[in-house]
Amino acid sequence: MLRLVLLYLPALFPSWRFFMEVGPSPRVEYRVDGGPWRAATGRPLRVGPGAMLRRLFWNPDWNETLFLVSCAERLVEEPTPHSVEEIRARIARRIGGAGVLEFRLVFHVRDGASVEFQSAPLAFGAPGR
Amino acid sequence: MSFEAALRMTEILVSLALIQRGAEHLARGEWRIFGPQVVVALALMAGVWPGIAVWVLWALGLWQLHRFQGPYNGGSDKMVLLTLTCLAIAHAAPSRLWAEMALSYLAVQLALSYFISGWVKLRNPDWRSGRALSDVFAFSAYPVSEGLRALAGRRRLLWLCSWAVILFEVAFPLALTQQAALAVALGVAALFHLSNACFFGLNRFVWAWIGAYPALLWFQLRITGQGAEFPLL
Repeated sequence: MLRLVLLYLPALFPSWRFFMEVGPSPRVEYRVDGGPWRAATGRPLRVGPGAMLRRLFWNPDWNETLFLVSCAERLVEEPTPHSVEEIRARIARRIGGAGVLEFRLVFHVRDGASVEFQSAPLAFGAPGR
Repeated sequence: MSFEAALRMTEILVSLALIQRGAEHLARGEWRIFGPQVVVALALMAGVWPGIAVWVLWALGLWQLHRFQGPYNGGSDKMVLLTLTCLAIAHAAPSRLWAEMALSYLAVQLALSYFISGWVKLRNPDWRSGRALSDVFAFSAYPVSEGLRALAGRRRLLWLCSWAVILFEVAFPLALTQQAALAVALGVAALFHLSNACFFGLNRFVWAWIGAYPALLWFQLRITGQGAEFPLL
């Protein structure tokens, strides 16, 4: 209950400090069965005006991508099984299939990028693997 | 705008925001929270037992916070939950005064959301130089397409955009002095949210913030005495 109160207080008394500074920005990468690392989320080369208008009303994929960014930031600040599981489950659903999944968080800054977190191997898909 | 009209408009707009985001979650198969949320939001929009509906939606908002261990969509979730909190208190308030205080709190927070956001940018040298906005396009996770990253090199344009945003946000409270000024300011603010939706995919923020606009329109009339028998100022 105390945890819920702590989560609720920022909604009741918001800080409203949007983009106060532009800090390191996470990307989630994954690999299956020790293969090459791939980006968990991508973005198209271009988004036309029609798609922008449509996304005003319907944008579930992008909003999930933003949630993965939040989870990645939380994971680096205060690691919890919840954040690990949210990222694992959403990657697993996106890629389908089964195997042993690893993910890592690559934080981009003005002059480069660095890996700040790498998960343990996690089974996904068919049980027992 | 009367208090009752502002309350009703806020209920309708926050319902639309909840239906929009709820539908996105339902497409992910997340029925347990968002199925009831969409149904109750539809009821609230139709005006069915609004005093109960807002409390149910508030409780579902808390459940969502617990489920995702925080907001799913950052500030937009906070704004919707704040709006639901204020509506719920307004409906449960023992007197008209306390009901008005609840809606006033939402209005003040809406104005602060612009002012504080502008103030923290004004104090940051990276924002004043346009460097921060350049960074947003260059390496942040927000631009919706790779093509938009090219804007990071348009330093002069980004400097102008940065200052336009900073000055608008910091000056926003001044619009409370005049009804017409507030209407214009909210129109500009809505366009600002729209551009954030286009460039950064922050579509939920559009609906969350617009949902609180009726409260501020009513509040402005209330404090300037144009819409109340007993002006506060």
